[in-house]
Amino acid sequence: MEKDSLANRAYTGDIDPDLLDFLNQYVDSFIKWDLMRFFFNNPHTIDTVDNIARYAGRNQETVGQELAELAERGLLEETHMGALVVYALSADPELRDRLARFIQASEDRQFRIRAIYHVIKGSY
Amino acid sequence: MQSEARALTGVPGLDQMLSGGFLPRTANLVEGAPGCGKTTLGMQFIHYGATHGEPGLILTFEQFPEQYYRDAAGFGWDFRDLEQRRLLQVIMSSPEVTKADLERFNGRISGLVNSMGVKRILVDSLSQFERLTDDPVELRNLLHGFLNALRREGLTALLTREAYVLLGDESHSDDETEENMSFLVDSYIMLRYVEIESAIHRAIIVLKMRGSAHDTHIRQFDIGPDGLVVQAPFKGREGILSGTPQYMAESFIKAFVRRG
Repeated sequence: MEKDSLANRAYTGDIDPDLLDFLNQYVDSFIKWDLMRFFFNNPHTIDTVDNIARYAGRNQETVGQELAELAERGLLEETHMGALVVYALSADPELRDRLARFIQASEDRQFRIRAIYHVIKGSY
Repeated sequence: MQSEARALTGVPGLDQMLSGGFLPRTANLVEGAPGCGKTTLGMQFIHYGATHGEPGLILTFEQFPEQYYRDAAGFGWDFRDLEQRRLLQVIMSSPEVTKADLERFNGRISGLVNSMGVKRILVDSLSQFERLTDDPVELRNLLHGFLNALRREGLTALLTREAYVLLGDESHSDDETEENMSFLVDSYIMLRYVEIESAIHRAIIVLKMRGSAHDTHIRQFDIGPDGLVVQAPFKGREGILSGTPQYMAESFIKAFVRRG
């Protein structure tokens, strides 16, 4: 237990507190991470689960669950258009800025390794 | 009564073909084979508008927005900067979502028209609507509603559509959508590859322009470092380009006239 906790600190200790908070709040799976990168690169996407799954090259069922969770947490907006349920990135500039910081930080290998470890182990 | 200013495309030569540009609040179809320059023409139209007081939207059903940013940068058009200045927005969506959005009151597109003052839209491509239904009557009604919604929002639209014809010898006489489309849109521009003397050239013709005179010549066009540039009609350059006028005439017939 103590060993685990020491390892966790070694991996997450150096992470910027805001990025760590972002990881804890939103990134608990690699699919979510992937979807975040997709929305960061294509920030004005608005579409259904099946189309977003197709764009991301992922399984529809899994993507549907992850999109719904990201919407619950406020990173995405869920809108009902008649029979369609569509998702888009939150228009909140602060949230978009935090996402941009996270994606940009992910370009750094050291940060990426720490973040991957964090996702695998779950949040702390 | 003073007529409204036309929407210049910014494509040298094309605006002259269109008697000064597209008429405002019209739906304008650009149809052509893959890679012949439809999207580039559309991006040029949007870029020209965004840098001349007419903000625009690009509605993509196929390519990722990243590809537009990259391709536009190749022509020196900074789409990311235009987005930051709220003169452009590249939206990735699907026909069904766009249709539903335009049908509801104060949808996303309507909101952008109001908040950004959007005047132009590139829809790339209309071919994606064809996967919504196999019924040609339903498709026609669907497209009719979609184009009318764009007009209602006050947008001058440039719509691309894939042509099945690559070089003019692969005719699809059962392309019912093409016939429907030509009735629904206000102008109809065709881009084609033409083979002359074992070299591929690009050709453009304005087949239809509702409510306006237009050039009926088939002209050559090039895609250069600044985008599309329409050249002189092929007609006057027959001797220079081919040396075989008879052969060239056959190429044009194959490229532009559907076989019965």
